[in-house]
Amino acid sequence: MKRVLEGSQAVAEAVRLARVQVVSAYPITPQTHIVEFLSEYCASGTMNARFLRVESEHSCMAALIGAQSAGVRTFTATSGQGLALMHELLHWAAGARLPIVMAEVNRALAPGWNIWVDQTDSLAQRDTGWIQFYCEDGQEVIDTTLQAYRLAESVALPAMVVLDAFFLSHTYEPVDVPEQEEADRFLPPYEARFQLDTAAPCSFGPLVPPAVYMEMRHDIAKAMETALSRFPGIENEYAAVFGRRYGVVEAIRCEDAEIVFVTSGTVTSTARSLLENLRSRGERLGILKIRLFRPFPVEAVRRALGGAAKVAVIDRNFSFGASGIFAQEVRAALCNAPGHPPVFGFVAGIGGRDVTPELLEEIYWKTKNSDAPEKESVWIGLQEV
Amino acid sequence: MVEKAQARAESENPIRIMPRSTRSTEGNKTGSWRYLRPRYEEKTAPCSAACPAGEDIGKVEMLTSQGLFKEAWETILRENPFPGVCGRVCFHPCEGSCNRGEFDDPIAIRAVERFLADTAERYDLKPLLERLPARPEKIAVAGAGPSGLAAAWFLTQLGYACDVFEASPEAGGILRWGIPLYRLPLAALQHEIARIEAQGVRIHTGRPVTPGFLRDLETSYSAVYLACGHGRTTALRVPGEELDGVGDGLAFLERIRRGETPDVRGMSVIIGGGNTAVDVARSIVRLGGEALILYRRRRKDMPAFGDEVQMALEEGVKLEELVAPERIEKDGGRIRITLRHMRIAGEEGGRGRIEPDGDRTSRVVAERLFKATGAEAGEAWYNPPPAGKGTVALSHCALSLREGRPALARGGDLTNGIKSVAHAIASGKQAAIALDTLFREGADSILSRLEACTVGVGPSLSMEIHMGGERRLRNRHVVVYGEINTDYFRYAPRMTQPRLVRAERARSFAEIDLRVSGNIAMREAERCFNCGLCDQCDNCHLFCPDLAVLRGKEGLGRSINYDYCKGCGLCVVECPRNAMTLEEEDR
Repeated sequence: MKRVLEGSQAVAEAVRLARVQVVSAYPITPQTHIVEFLSEYCASGTMNARFLRVESEHSCMAALIGAQSAGVRTFTATSGQGLALMHELLHWAAGARLPIVMAEVNRALAPGWNIWVDQTDSLAQRDTGWIQFYCEDGQEVIDTTLQAYRLAESVALPAMVVLDAFFLSHTYEPVDVPEQEEADRFLPPYEARFQLDTAAPCSFGPLVPPAVYMEMRHDIAKAMETALSRFPGIENEYAAVFGRRYGVVEAIRCEDAEIVFVTSGTVTSTARSLLENLRSRGERLGILKIRLFRPFPVEAVRRALGGAAKVAVIDRNFSFGASGIFAQEVRAALCNAPGHPPVFGFVAGIGGRDVTPELLEEIYWKTKNSDAPEKESVWIGLQEV
Repeated sequence: MVEKAQARAESENPIRIMPRSTRSTEGNKTGSWRYLRPRYEEKTAPCSAACPAGEDIGKVEMLTSQGLFKEAWETILRENPFPGVCGRVCFHPCEGSCNRGEFDDPIAIRAVERFLADTAERYDLKPLLERLPARPEKIAVAGAGPSGLAAAWFLTQLGYACDVFEASPEAGGILRWGIPLYRLPLAALQHEIARIEAQGVRIHTGRPVTPGFLRDLETSYSAVYLACGHGRTTALRVPGEELDGVGDGLAFLERIRRGETPDVRGMSVIIGGGNTAVDVARSIVRLGGEALILYRRRRKDMPAFGDEVQMALEEGVKLEELVAPERIEKDGGRIRITLRHMRIAGEEGGRGRIEPDGDRTSRVVAERLFKATGAEAGEAWYNPPPAGKGTVALSHCALSLREGRPALARGGDLTNGIKSVAHAIASGKQAAIALDTLFREGADSILSRLEACTVGVGPSLSMEIHMGGERRLRNRHVVVYGEINTDYFRYAPRMTQPRLVRAERARSFAEIDLRVSGNIAMREAERCFNCGLCDQCDNCHLFCPDLAVLRGKEGLGRSINYDYCKGCGLCVVECPRNAMTLEEEDR
């Protein structure tokens, strides 16, 4: 059924449809409406779930690790500083192979305090062993959340569904909300492979010596590979029920493109409108939207960018001392591909600053008019200070 | 589909290693890591150390908060046979030392004590107290006031046969004859005396102790405790104080307590600033007269309880500060008092030091005057001889050990600097412990025995410790406010003592402080920090990361399993009451 929903509520609706049994959250800023909706669903009985209000994001993830270990499907949402506080336990969740799903609303990190969009918070967690999806709109949010449960549970790894603060979390859009039976058809009940059992007590995660630890980590690396190979099949099943498909990446008119923008999140939508504009003026722009960031879809990226003359990566994030993080990943994906195009990195929209069509057009012309990148990342739209 | 997905997942993406342990972690004796050692160690609450009678107040409040009113009342009785009296008239130094006072307001300890006594009276409870086997020695007590009766009560519990000889026709001393009914109703006192007699104490009234009678007692008793009190009002040492119309405040109160209704028409002047002065003034108002208290210092320097002074003023008593009588004369049928005005010339000992304010004088004319500036022993020989020559001056009593004669102890007002009921009880207790030690272990053990029975830093003593009760296991350290983990307490207002309305109390001798209900008393007792005492809140158990805090049978008692205790100290930090101690491990 089509409804006009805030991005936050789209997440909450997907969590409801996934029949999540335990929701844990720390309710203070930078938290979003997501858990506000969920707490109401839990209180009203719309969801048959326990809502655990904890005293910090660290405790929140600890509570979910406990709940998921007991064999139930779990969820939380967080942002910015909250995600940073969870860091230690993000590793634990992945190491314990617990398919926890989290919505992470991208917010810039303090100081100075800033609750607006910036991907640095989630990208700082890229090495924790969590699957990461970046969403473009409300429909994609609801669909991705349901898919995230399927994928996470099939490879026993946790998954993060990432959405831009305000531009997506607080924006109302028409969203087709699946019916419960349809959702159930796509997403079967969670069955834990290892689960706490009071009848046969055991403890998880005891001391593991060097002789074994490396193999455990290799298993996680393999599970990430499996996630990448399995996701198209899951999307096929999803498309069979709902008729919608997004791919691990979306290549938009890349076949004949001279310059390809690499984007993620809501910037993609702005780039789409620029693309129409430039194409109508004879410019050959393409867009590669990266939806699945972990595992990183190296082959799909290589395929989409292989024919371009130049690549411009738009990063709403920055790794200080290096460059925009998507740009790093794209360069790493391409560097072993013979004859790959040069990669221009651009940093834009940090801390919630608007990334306008004009700004993107500036990036286009800068790329087009430069033979080679002047540096790893160029900051676009800086004011004189 | 579920099975299919699962099977596929297993084949393509096995979790080959998932570290799990089904063995108990008990094999890992983490106690060997410990260099600090927590242990349960109860300490001393400041209230109990401040109480002259050494009552175990923290425990009394704990039991009260749990609704164990009889047990709470018995806990008081172990240290003080007069909860009904002290619950009404004690000057409650306990409340002044209460750590809760630094948090919000002190516990209304006296009101809770009164509630427990009321409850025991209402249900006619009989205390079940420890009692030592009978001793061959018999002990005589002179004076059935609070000190003499307390001594007899404790000595009886220690196994001695006791006879109390009282000059008046009824027992009680100052409690019977000197404190007005609106502060201490007769029934409350009689109930306590009846309980003391029920313990086996024999009270012989109408038997004043004279030097001759004392010699007789010495032939048939192993020891005598002299506690005849301060029954005679101190002279003013002012010309004219022998005139007709000049009366003795204590004697006036006694007349009323005998049932007389003295004529108090017109203005009465009372000289003094203690409780007797205020009692006389308030009694006069109740009998229809006017009362003016003249005090040589300021109101805030008065030894009378502040609350009583406040109520007296509300009831219509007048107070003139900084005046001292210089001369008393007849003025027709009336009394004329010449007053010398005083002024404050500094502070000493917590109150104003006074000196004459130049030559300023004034005059007051009244129908009569009452002296209430203090009291002294009725006979000079009641007073203890100077220390030395066989007499030991202890903190609350004087003990004379004479070759070939029974021991003679003196206590109560005869020896105490502060003349309070609680101090009188403390004297009786100290004399009982000293005499018991004398008979059981000999004179040389008395001082060490008294030291062993001290509550906190003293001088309060505990009979429970002397009788070998659990209280002896407590550390003498007096818990200070900073040692309470106030995170576990919430602010709660102190209970308000319900009282007779002013109009009502100014015309009757009915008790002013009204009874409070069980839930008010319980709520008040719940405010208590129970400083230094374990109330089995289980914080230690909950916070122990090693499950090393064990609970005893039926949930009572806590102990530490040192095989696994790492000595992190969380239990000690999270103990709200400082009932645990962390020490360096002996290695």
